[in-house]
Amino acid sequence: MSFRRTAAVAIVLAWLVLSAHVGSPNIFFEGAAGAYPVRVIIRPPEAIPGLAEITVRIQSGAAVDRVTVQPVRWDLGRDGAPRPDEAVRIAGEESLWSAELWLMEFGSYSVHVEVEGPDGAGRVIVPVPARATSIAEMPMGLGLALGGLSVFLLVGLLAIVGAAAREASLPPGVEPDCYRRRRSRVAQAVSVPIFALALFGGARWWASEASVYERNLYVPLAIETRSDAVATGATFTLGITDERFTPQRFSPLLPDHGKLMHLFLIRDGTPAAMAHLHPERTDSASFTTALPPLPGGDYRVYADILHESGFTQTLTDTVALAETGAIASDALDPDDSWTVDTADPVGPNAPAILDDGSSMRWTAERAPRAGEETTLTFEVQAPDGSPALLEPYMGMAAHAVIAREDGSVFIHLHPLGTVSMTSQQLFAERDRQGSPTPVEVSGGDGAGMQHLHAGESSVSFPFEFPQPGDYRIWVQVKRGGRILTGAFAASVGG
Amino acid sequence: MSTTILQDSAASPPIAGRVEERAPWHVYAVLFASLSVIVGVLWDISWHSTIGRDTLFSPPHLAMYLGGVVAGVACGWYVLHTTFAGLPQDRAASVTFWKYFRGPLGAWMCIWGAFAMLTSAPFDDWWHNAYGLDVKILSPPHAVLALGILAIQLGALFMVLALQNRADDRAADGASHVIRGFKLMFSVALGLVLLNLAIITTEYTFRIYQHTTLFYQVTTGLFVLPLVIAAVAGRLRWSATAAALTYTGVLLSMHFILPLFGAEPRLAPVRNPLEQMMPPQFPLLLVVPAVGIDLLLQRLPDRVNGWMRATAIAAVFLATFFVVQWPFAEFLQSDLARNAVFKQDMRPYMVGETGYGPPGSFYDPASGADLGIGLLIALGLGIVSARLGLASGRWMAGVRR
Repeated sequence: MSFRRTAAVAIVLAWLVLSAHVGSPNIFFEGAAGAYPVRVIIRPPEAIPGLAEITVRIQSGAAVDRVTVQPVRWDLGRDGAPRPDEAVRIAGEESLWSAELWLMEFGSYSVHVEVEGPDGAGRVIVPVPARATSIAEMPMGLGLALGGLSVFLLVGLLAIVGAAAREASLPPGVEPDCYRRRRSRVAQAVSVPIFALALFGGARWWASEASVYERNLYVPLAIETRSDAVATGATFTLGITDERFTPQRFSPLLPDHGKLMHLFLIRDGTPAAMAHLHPERTDSASFTTALPPLPGGDYRVYADILHESGFTQTLTDTVALAETGAIASDALDPDDSWTVDTADPVGPNAPAILDDGSSMRWTAERAPRAGEETTLTFEVQAPDGSPALLEPYMGMAAHAVIAREDGSVFIHLHPLGTVSMTSQQLFAERDRQGSPTPVEVSGGDGAGMQHLHAGESSVSFPFEFPQPGDYRIWVQVKRGGRILTGAFAASVGG
Repeated sequence: MSTTILQDSAASPPIAGRVEERAPWHVYAVLFASLSVIVGVLWDISWHSTIGRDTLFSPPHLAMYLGGVVAGVACGWYVLHTTFAGLPQDRAASVTFWKYFRGPLGAWMCIWGAFAMLTSAPFDDWWHNAYGLDVKILSPPHAVLALGILAIQLGALFMVLALQNRADDRAADGASHVIRGFKLMFSVALGLVLLNLAIITTEYTFRIYQHTTLFYQVTTGLFVLPLVIAAVAGRLRWSATAAALTYTGVLLSMHFILPLFGAEPRLAPVRNPLEQMMPPQFPLLLVVPAVGIDLLLQRLPDRVNGWMRATAIAAVFLATFFVVQWPFAEFLQSDLARNAVFKQDMRPYMVGETGYGPPGSFYDPASGADLGIGLLIALGLGIVSARLGLASGRWMAGVRR
């Protein structure tokens, strides 16, 4: 591989590491399949076409009879799907089932998970974007073995050529003379450059196949961001500059939780800051918002968008912000929120004091470990120590942002998991109507509120830290009409 | 040691010149292997077009592996036996490999092919992890597999060829029905190689491409070579025709047998909910140019030199093939071919209703000057292919071991 190609691959991979639902491709979903509360985890393949692993946990522990899974492409519906696959119960686990999902094309899929048991049958639909994310390296052992076999084959082929030229057309029993022996050596000598050329051609072919595949690797749309000082403070503008952003390549954007874009600005260092904003679209590819009061510095930018196909992506950039002061409250979207560290973030089982004097506690029996399925639970108490009454915040009981401190992991999740609720509603509605064409959904404006029941004061998120390291977690809830953000630090072991 | 025995053998003409009364078992084994791998490949393509998902041990893969194992084990055993405990006549009819081992040339090809198939398996497995599961027939690991399969088929061909040539040398021995059998086996073995080449070029020969000049360039450039080899090295009067008939026969058998089996797509997106296994592509009408080549070579005087001969062969191939295949493609693309015999209404599960274009339409059809220039290029490729075929055929006509 030439230096330029190596560099190109490195840039692509670096971009992937620094981008979209960054470094955390696994999909978590919690919901109710009829009478059965389920947690679905989908581990997508790195290559498409490829096999995703899916596990379904019956949260209630109920002994169900049957679990099936069926990948359905957004534009073809269930008519274009193969019959569902039977999941198998994992040995020794009463309520854990697993199966493999075959994802054959790039694009937006949903997985229909059906559960049958003593309380009848139920189904959940989990959106899955099928995208190739990397090219596997060849393990050294395999490389050596294949190299050895290739040498053996080449040497063998030369021996066959030599034997063919030397003896093949001799009558049986006649020994080759000097002329034939020389002819054999000449044939072998002529073959060497031919084989070398064939090998070179093969290598070029391989490189060209790899480069076609690299072009198909998922890379989020390119954006440019900037901040401008204005009379009322500062504005933030985001433009999608990617030439792939065309109606032919991407279906139109849809609001998720009632917003076309969820923008996260994260400042590392001291003080750390995080803003969750909702820019308005000013033209087909530009978004703008006023900036709340934030300390100046370099910020990482993550912008979540949802396409009509149900495909979600997170667009990334970095931006330098000048310190901004207080602005008029009506300059911002009512659902915008931001937080700036005033003290060191707390770890598990310690109270984080919220803006209204209430406190939020991350309850954890032990420190989280990378690659281990977990539930992140947060309890909110009123200033008097009583359980706080939570209200829906953009259709959800809570929103959480998890970011590794080096920026290599970023994820925006909800109690229902990592999926977009609107995307899920889209798939469900299309399925109900039996039509792959676009359908109207509520857009997650609160009507589809899940995972919060009257009187509840705690929220939980299904998750798995993808790699060890130091993480920041921001959990956002709404109480008394105010959006409150709890900031936590997590040290995740390997 | 080997030199001594060779000299002994050379000093015993009755043994060296003996006519085999029947083909040894390992020749049948490699012919079976040649058929098994190619049937496996056709079955596998059908599997990928109908069911979609496969595993390392899917039935079509097993058919391919069976061919590789049979060829590898039979030839491996035979060369070891010939090397260490072979009869003098067997050693006399063998070539030396790495200065010590003895065995027929074809056996070494088969062993090489088995190793190439073995190499392709882990390579292909890694390829799927890196670049995704199979969606294409042609990929580097599949090319290694195809080379292995081709080597096994060529090995079978050379083993039969040596048998045919040795027997024909001694035709006066009166074993004519045996010799005829060997000659027929040679054409059959060559027909299986022809089928392999046809499968490798499938992506250029779908019926919707059969009005492009590229189609005629690929087919003329590639198929003239084996047909000329058949005609020159084969000892039947209609060797090329017999090879083309073998190609057609195996393909037609699969065309009718595979759809007898029910199957359903197991991969999304299913754009065509098939209920039977997909048949392979309908055979190209190669029998017609094969007859042309046989007739031409039977009548062409010996004094015509190689390039003239090659030009005549290429012209006959292209003219006869074009004249029958062009309208036949129109027929295949029409509603008339959408029936139980031609089965052109069947599409792979991932191909939607418009995937093969509306009836009667073709991908990028050539006409006028473009067609003429394209066919001239095809003719040029055919001449090179025929010249190579003549040279190879002449050399192969002399192969005795």
